[in-house]
Amino acid sequence: MSARAPRVGTTSGTGILLRFMLRRDRFRLPWWLLGTGLLLLIQSTQSQNVYDTPEDLARLRETLGGNASVVALSGPTELLDTIGGEVVFEIFSYLAVVVALMSMFLVGRHTRSDEEAGRAELIRSARVGRHAPVAAALCLAGLANLAVAVVVFATAAGTGLPAGGSVLLGVATAGLGLTFAALTAVAAQVFENARGVYGAVGLAIGASYVLRAAGDVGNGALSWVSPIGWGQRTFPYSDNRWWPLLLPLGVTALLVAAAVALLDRRDFGAGLLQSRPGRATASWALGSPLGLAWRLQRGSLTGWASGLLLLGAAYGSLGNTIEEYVADNPEVADFLPGGAADVVDSYLALTILMSALITTAFGVSSTMRVRGEETSGRAEPVLATATSRSAWLASHLTVALVGGALVLVAVGFGEGLAYGLTVSDAGQIPRLMAVALVYLPAVWLVIGLAVLGLGWLPRAAAAVAWVVVGYCSIVALFADSFDLPAWFQSASPFAHTPEAPFETVTTAPLLIIGAVVVVLLAGGLIGFRRRDVGY
Amino acid sequence: MASTISVAGLVKTFGRTRALDGLDLEVKPGEVHGFLGPNGSGKTTTIRVLLGLLRADAGTVRMLGGDPWSDAVALHRRLAYVPGDVTLWAGITGGEVIDLMGRLRGGLDRRRRAELLERFDLDPRKKARTYSKGNRQKVALVAGLASEAELLLLDEPTSGLDPLMESVFQQCIQEVKREGRTVLLSSHILAEVEALCDRVSIIRLGRTVESGTLSELRHLTRTSISVETAQPVTGIDALPGVHDVVLDHTSARFDVDTQHLDAVVRRLSTLGVRSLVSTPPTLEEMFLRHYGDEETSGAEETA
Repeated sequence: MSARAPRVGTTSGTGILLRFMLRRDRFRLPWWLLGTGLLLLIQSTQSQNVYDTPEDLARLRETLGGNASVVALSGPTELLDTIGGEVVFEIFSYLAVVVALMSMFLVGRHTRSDEEAGRAELIRSARVGRHAPVAAALCLAGLANLAVAVVVFATAAGTGLPAGGSVLLGVATAGLGLTFAALTAVAAQVFENARGVYGAVGLAIGASYVLRAAGDVGNGALSWVSPIGWGQRTFPYSDNRWWPLLLPLGVTALLVAAAVALLDRRDFGAGLLQSRPGRATASWALGSPLGLAWRLQRGSLTGWASGLLLLGAAYGSLGNTIEEYVADNPEVADFLPGGAADVVDSYLALTILMSALITTAFGVSSTMRVRGEETSGRAEPVLATATSRSAWLASHLTVALVGGALVLVAVGFGEGLAYGLTVSDAGQIPRLMAVALVYLPAVWLVIGLAVLGLGWLPRAAAAVAWVVVGYCSIVALFADSFDLPAWFQSASPFAHTPEAPFETVTTAPLLIIGAVVVVLLAGGLIGFRRRDVGY
Repeated sequence: MASTISVAGLVKTFGRTRALDGLDLEVKPGEVHGFLGPNGSGKTTTIRVLLGLLRADAGTVRMLGGDPWSDAVALHRRLAYVPGDVTLWAGITGGEVIDLMGRLRGGLDRRRRAELLERFDLDPRKKARTYSKGNRQKVALVAGLASEAELLLLDEPTSGLDPLMESVFQQCIQEVKREGRTVLLSSHILAEVEALCDRVSIIRLGRTVESGTLSELRHLTRTSISVETAQPVTGIDALPGVHDVVLDHTSARFDVDTQHLDAVVRRLSTLGVRSLVSTPPTLEEMFLRHYGDEETSGAEETA
């Protein structure tokens, strides 16, 4: 009688879950694919413009081959034989990080996050097998990475790179994504909450980058323990080797098997690592709105500050070689605010400006915590105590404003330390720390706009603030090379900030920006005191 | 004595939705006041207005002798609030949340804190993300009850608690009452309301439909009568306030509006009562009548 009854196993329901996950992610995944495609598109067109002759490429090989910092930041010099390889050399590490993050968030979202939030329980109570959610999440990761491969191939081939190498590049990128998807599936069994999963996998992504960097600078051995290294060492366009892809393939299979084995050995909702009990009473520090805001944001502030310190150090380590590099590749000077003259200072100005734009992103995300607290309902009990709205808003803003300054100081310290080491001048550390702070008023101005949004247009505030960050970045990075009209640039606070250390710092524009900041903050506060909380 | 909470004609709209539509509420000092109404009737919105989180569109609102919007901070020193849907910060422990809320309110009683943790059987060392719904609710309850506040605003404070914890909660509120403190208790648990509340207000579609002591409210509703008489039962259905009569010669069952009970009993006694069972309305029936759709007061749409 039941001969036609559906087969019931530990993966029952995978198909339905997969369709449901695709629906949940239908607006999210395209953005990741777009980002991946854009990164490659910009690099491919730019590289082919700058190094358009074999002589350019040969000169580049000579300059870069001997520069450990560039190799550490990018990849193995074997790639520099062809223009396609040069593109891979420059962009693969970044592509790798984007695709790895996409895969990590995708699998984490549909496994541990769902379990933590209790959504998975509802699903598992239906006729859904124990392995179905993780199987469906991995299938979705497979589809997403297939799409990555197609986008990478289409972008590379579409910008004129050879088709064969483009296929290999696409597959290598997707293989890397799959490896991190499978690793996330393992981490989702080990950790009890999504934060732990993302922390561990994020650390693994960072380690892959560092191991690859150390390997490429040294004898190459360490690169073979890094998934990013495996992808680069297929040498697309140069050697076109397919066999290194056996590594991500094998490791992915092993990790999936490990995830399944671990899943069978744990209870639903639990991880293999139990979270430890915390304090039974609050320390003195957690006794004020500011103490709470600091407690909630200290982790992310530490993350941003250390990340930007490392970025600054990476930029700084190249400072000393930039003169030689620009002399060999005069086209590059077009990207520097000062052109070929005063190359080092103008390079430092450009890189600190770029770091300041990233600091702006920190400022906005920190400010938007206010909105997150409000819409989640966590602000309500705090505002029901003797905490005024002004004090509550000011506590989070203090973290955002002072945090922005700390992040900039970290940038200056990292860049000053690394650059100072290469030119044997400890004085670069205080100098570049001071230089970085020249960009603080502009960072604060963007925070001020976000606060104004919070006060008067709370629902649109996040969108508005991120559009402002995007606008400032476009103006700062592309205004000169793309000849954007002057009126379009003039609204950006960064356009009015002296490009220190290349330009002389004058205080007048900084004071004016500061005055605007005060007005914006006051305006936002007035709006916030007048409106309903939580809507 | 001035009311602790005094709300008259309160209106609050969100876009086109009229969440509160002329709500009235009086809470006297020292009483436990039940605040009842179906889901979405405006109880939480009212409490948010009282907390100064929402600005009233019309009407007057006074609490503890002040204005909840403009005197928010001063008033908050004197009250404690327990939300019905408690969300906590994932990485902070229950004990830390209790201390934080106490300090933000201006101090908490350490001895009472320890005693409440014991009575509610709550582990303060667990991170908030690992608490169940009931345990999150306990964190908010301990934080609120450990305060010395003279007014407690409780918005469905026992949702998710087990019966044992429910009884601990009721004991705690009885103690609060003995100390002369005032409580506004929004709840769906009728047994809890019956056990704790001196007076109740029932709201529906953003308006107060009934307010008073439980016995006053009972008075406004119907009593069920089942009677056997010596003579055939006649003339009962013609009396005012009599409903749903089922006649069977010398026995009858019917409902009667409680204010007309006396006249009905007089009439019955002339027929020679052999047996009579009178059932007062249960709270459940009372609320179902007020919550139900046939009660249309305030049902007209306000555009």
